[in-house]
Amino acid sequence: MSIIVVGLNHKSAPIEVREKLAFNPNSINTALSLFSQKYQDQNAEIVILSTCNRVELYISSQDGAIKAEDVFSFLADFHKIELNTFSPYMYHYNDDRAVNHLFFVTSSLDSMVLGESQILSQVKEAYTTAAMEEATGKILNQLFQQALNAAKIVHTRTSIGKRKVSISSVAVEFAEKIFQDFTGKIVLVVGAGEMCELLLKHLYEEGARTFIVANRTYERAEELANEYHGQAIKYELLGEYLEKADIVISSTSAPHYVIHADQVKEAIRHRRGNPMFLIDIAVPRDIEPEVANIDNVYLYNIDDLQSVVSQNVDERNREVEKCRVLIEEEVEHFMARLEEMKIEPAITHLRNHFHTIGKEELDRLKPKLKNLDNGDWEQVIYTMERTINKLLHHPAKVAKQEAKNGGGYRYVETIKKLFGIFHHTDNP
Amino acid sequence: MKFSLINEYLFLTLLTMIQMPHIPFIITIILYFISSVWSIGYIVKPGVFDKKVAKWTMMMGFFIHSGFIVFLGLESGNIPITNVYESFVSLLWCILFVYINLDYLYKLPSLDTFLLPVVTALSIWALTFDGGNLLVTVSLQNFWLIAHIIPIFVGYAAFTISFSLSIMYLTQQRQLKHKLFGSLFNKLPSLEGIDKMMWKTISFGFPLLTLGLVFGTFWVKTQNVLGEMWYLDYKVILGLATWLIYAALLHMRLIASFHGTKIACLTIVGFCLVLFTFIGTFFMGSKHAFQKVSEQTHTELLNVQ
Repeated sequence: MSIIVVGLNHKSAPIEVREKLAFNPNSINTALSLFSQKYQDQNAEIVILSTCNRVELYISSQDGAIKAEDVFSFLADFHKIELNTFSPYMYHYNDDRAVNHLFFVTSSLDSMVLGESQILSQVKEAYTTAAMEEATGKILNQLFQQALNAAKIVHTRTSIGKRKVSISSVAVEFAEKIFQDFTGKIVLVVGAGEMCELLLKHLYEEGARTFIVANRTYERAEELANEYHGQAIKYELLGEYLEKADIVISSTSAPHYVIHADQVKEAIRHRRGNPMFLIDIAVPRDIEPEVANIDNVYLYNIDDLQSVVSQNVDERNREVEKCRVLIEEEVEHFMARLEEMKIEPAITHLRNHFHTIGKEELDRLKPKLKNLDNGDWEQVIYTMERTINKLLHHPAKVAKQEAKNGGGYRYVETIKKLFGIFHHTDNP
Repeated sequence: MKFSLINEYLFLTLLTMIQMPHIPFIITIILYFISSVWSIGYIVKPGVFDKKVAKWTMMMGFFIHSGFIVFLGLESGNIPITNVYESFVSLLWCILFVYINLDYLYKLPSLDTFLLPVVTALSIWALTFDGGNLLVTVSLQNFWLIAHIIPIFVGYAAFTISFSLSIMYLTQQRQLKHKLFGSLFNKLPSLEGIDKMMWKTISFGFPLLTLGLVFGTFWVKTQNVLGEMWYLDYKVILGLATWLIYAALLHMRLIASFHGTKIACLTIVGFCLVLFTFIGTFFMGSKHAFQKVSEQTHTELLNVQ
């Protein structure tokens, strides 16, 4: 039994190569069943993880029967592309390194945005898909459950995923330090660019429901407002609506200030000190910087947000070492469990072997004990089984224990040799 | 006669304990101090300081504090406000009592960081009044006294908490303004949340203060406790000023729906006035039913009552 991972990611391959190898939900199912059928004899198990940043195949096979080259050619055949167009970008790891890689990926230490949590659900989905397709077995089931578990441990014991690392999430985080919740809060959006939309989406997810959109082209404002059940207003009315807004997001391409200090001063006077949160993500800036000096007004521009983002990224980077240690521990656990699993079939065979011998002996004995009634005979059978189980209990326990420390293979061999039970097959 | 010697020793120790009744209070202060250090430490270095330590030392302190109040009460046979020191200790107990209940009800993150240092500082200050000779001269079993003191004390406790909340508000708003996003920033709740809580504590304290003042007025009118010119007593005048400040605050919030830094600053002013009314007036020479008497006269006074 061995595990191999073959794949490429955003670090190893450009998008042109990744997109050629990417699987869509339908093709994943086809690939899974094709692969399982092809390598049925090798007890192949497979999980395909395909996201926009990576395509990876996790495969377990009997005694490492499936090699990286086999997977390469499978991929080439499946996607109908030349092998050499992608093979230089591929990486492959075996056994503990493969396990380590999966744990790393699942804990999002290998992600483009370190510590993001999306990969966890992607791995979970990849595994469920494979399991539904019956492409996984004992080994990969165990492996993926352990991987998800390891990721959870990493995320709870370190702060790898705690700090926000995108402009919009940082902005929302600040808003949360001003407002207790967003229900009933009015969000005024000035300009209808991509960044505004992203922020809007984020605020919507956090519970904001009242949106007012102002844009130079009214149609675009309407479009965005409709999307979030908001209200579009004429750009000229911006000043009037300012005092209503708890949160203002501004991102126009105007070359001059769109919101002036005296406007905000007036607005805050009408708001009677109710705080206002202004986010200026435009370059050149939309909101006059003096606005920041007004009491109860909190103004942040793109640089403020960006500097927090990079601080948080640094913070996450500092956590990587801690995560690495945790993952190593988890890999060790898994490898020990794997060794234990290797010896399990051997022990089952040994048990069957003993019971067969016992049964043969009983069959030999039965005709000789004609006077025995059924109750007594059952007692004899019971005693025999009990003896066998008792005899095997200790060696089985010790063998499993020792296997955990990496001596699994040696013990299988020893059992084979001592009891001469496996000479008819090479598959323990 | 070893036995009687031990007995005598125990008796003497007990006697010294009784003679130094502030020892439990000192222990309380130490516990509050540790709690303050840990609640601040938790924010500065969360890895080193455990929040649980802050909580449990505070609870332990409060437990001993409560025991001490009971002890003082039993000793004099009355509610423990027979002198300025006792009143102070009782007020501090009220603050903790109101805080623990509020925290249980509303789960206020990091409020202890702002409240416990205040409590510790006030406790140390209270200790300086121990052995002071300003003693209550009126009957302590008077209904009016209870009706006057208890609502005011609980009201003051609520105002102390609103003071801590306003410091918290100003801290958080300063961090937001100056873009200081450290550990403290992350641990403090939202401005709106603090503002709401401030409003809650003030609107809880204000009716109590009003009630206490009304009862006080009745008392002074019916039993002539402060003399003919009672309205010129500093404590009465400042009490009224305190009431006016909080009334103004409530008006601003309720009628004019004012929020933000101004409210927080006014709350701080209100609390300073509370402190001044409570303690400061004694330095100004106001007696307000306390009198400079010797210990002996006081005991006699209490016994007569």
